[in-house]
Amino acid sequence: MPAIRKVLIANRGEIAVRIVRACRERGLASVAVYSDCDRTSTHVRMADEAWRLGGNTPGESYLRIDAVVEIARRCGADAVHPGYGFLAENAAFAEACGAAGLTFIGPAPAAIRAMGNKTAARAVATAAGVAVVPGTGAPLSAACADADVVRTARELGYPLMLKAVAGGGGKGMRLVVDESELPDALRGARSEAQSSFGDASVYLERRLERPRHIEVQLLGDAHGTVVPFVERECSIQRRHQKVVEESPSVAVTPAQRRALADAAARVARRVGYTNAGTIEFLLDADGQFYFLEMNTRLQVEHPVTEMVTGIDLVEWQLRIAQGEPLTLDPEALITPRGHAIEARIYAEDPDHRFMPSPGRITHLRAASGPGVRDDGGLTAPGEVPIYYDPLVAKLIAWGGDRPQSIARLARALREYEIEGIKTTIPFFRWLLTNEDYVAARVDTTWLDRVLATRAGEPFWASDEPVADLASIAAAIQACTARGTASGSQAAVPAPTGGWVAAARREALR
Amino acid sequence: MRPSTFELEVDGLVRKVQVAHERGRFEIVLDGVAHSVDAVAIEPGRWSLLFADGRSHEVVIVTNGHEGAATVLVDGSTVPIDVRDPRRRRDAAGGHTGDGPVPILAPMPGKVVRVLVAAGDAVSARQSVIVVEAMKMENELRAPRAGIVGEVLVREGALVDAGTLLLTIG
Repeated sequence: MPAIRKVLIANRGEIAVRIVRACRERGLASVAVYSDCDRTSTHVRMADEAWRLGGNTPGESYLRIDAVVEIARRCGADAVHPGYGFLAENAAFAEACGAAGLTFIGPAPAAIRAMGNKTAARAVATAAGVAVVPGTGAPLSAACADADVVRTARELGYPLMLKAVAGGGGKGMRLVVDESELPDALRGARSEAQSSFGDASVYLERRLERPRHIEVQLLGDAHGTVVPFVERECSIQRRHQKVVEESPSVAVTPAQRRALADAAARVARRVGYTNAGTIEFLLDADGQFYFLEMNTRLQVEHPVTEMVTGIDLVEWQLRIAQGEPLTLDPEALITPRGHAIEARIYAEDPDHRFMPSPGRITHLRAASGPGVRDDGGLTAPGEVPIYYDPLVAKLIAWGGDRPQSIARLARALREYEIEGIKTTIPFFRWLLTNEDYVAARVDTTWLDRVLATRAGEPFWASDEPVADLASIAAAIQACTARGTASGSQAAVPAPTGGWVAAARREALR
Repeated sequence: MRPSTFELEVDGLVRKVQVAHERGRFEIVLDGVAHSVDAVAIEPGRWSLLFADGRSHEVVIVTNGHEGAATVLVDGSTVPIDVRDPRRRRDAAGGHTGDGPVPILAPMPGKVVRVLVAAGDAVSARQSVIVVEAMKMENELRAPRAGIVGEVLVREGALVDAGTLLLTIG
């Protein structure tokens, strides 16, 4: 295995910042790439080197395999970290890195390919002796007639889920309650799958009744060792998108934890998996779990696992890529210390149906304090561009138990100051006071059901004392500004430097 | 100082506020209710408010593009506020032309490192008049308008609190 000294990060935003930090801690040089609108982004400013990709849309920037590989070659990088999203689960990219003599910090292309095809992944799980959600074995390709799909659906029984074979992240996914909905759902899912993944193939899965989303992080090294971690629960989803993740799950018993970890490791070993990956399961009301899919990359929600195990997953990604054997104690990895919850703070307006709210951040002060971790990628002034995922930051709170981590997350959300754009912070503050969430009486459809019953009232309304305080402060500032100038001399000192002061002293002499 | 009156549009409601300022303490009447507040600007827009009953609040005022409009962050909630200042509106076109002495206040706790003017000096608008050091940063305070320096109330080396009156420009 070649030595790694310089890592190109083929990503942006908070995850690029996260990887720059891990590289720096390991004494590795980091190289950022950036689109035109990201010239002043934090990852560009933090990395040791930054090279322009050009363009703005993902297609003309972060998805350009040739451009990324060319920059890696030109700057002398010896490894590439794909982060998540963009090229992270693109086998052709992993292959192109290998062909250029670059170490791809992730699994082998064959493993990405095997698990990226969702029906093939289900076959791998079945071969590994892990139950899959009942559904179609072979993909229903674009050539497959609607009548055949209808027949297959009838055999499985409704309700069912229609999913893209090449899919992931909730794209190309439809819930079909009965046969009358199938033709429209099929058309919609196929067109979304074609545009997102370039493959209109779909498959059918029986819809489980109110399942919980449970997933198992794992690491595999180049020497055949695979270690699974304590599970994460990601049942708080809005339209199939995770918004809150936690570890461990209160719904998983110690015996189930061991069984889940074993099942995940068996699936990963079956494809000779290396580096970081996650196996997703659905847990039904009877405590049965079913393989859902595998993500062959680092996940957005990896910090909650780090918080309850003390393991730095990105550091281990680098070590594994450098050929180091895994020396972690498997028992410790499935024994959580305390509880951690992550809130994905998005630039969305929760009070207006979570409309995207990109734009200029005029003010930002992240939360901190005991048990709180802020994985962000923005500063003020700064921009949330319109072209990419509107994730502003991941706020993670660790506590000795779940109630303490909820209390700390609520406290940190109250401390978080961000202005210029709307964010989902008010929604999270509401969520953490919801009694079903606090009691963990949730499943993957819970949030959408609750949101549908709301009449449009704000998630977090300012009460009267808050309005009074705001008024008092605004009046004080206005009074101070009026007393001194059209600006606000009392509050805004003129910029100065030592040389200005020195020049002034000379002038006064 | 004589009280100033402002009209605020707070979250859509119009409220009247009267503010009188005396050495860092602000006497406020908000919709007929009196509040006595020790207010210190920690940095531009960030205020520490201490009320007479001991309550402490940190409030951040983020000004928007247009005059008077701001978003105020209080204990994790945001409140949109539009400050209507009849006097400011009148003066907005021509800068500060107000009559009466203009106080120069310390923007933050710190040390007076240089007094650049003396009583009776003529100063022009934007001329630096005093330098206050805080957190190892030197902050030059400038005259908001042309005038004659009135009283200089501090000496070089003096430690001052935020809001301390340093000098006036008549």
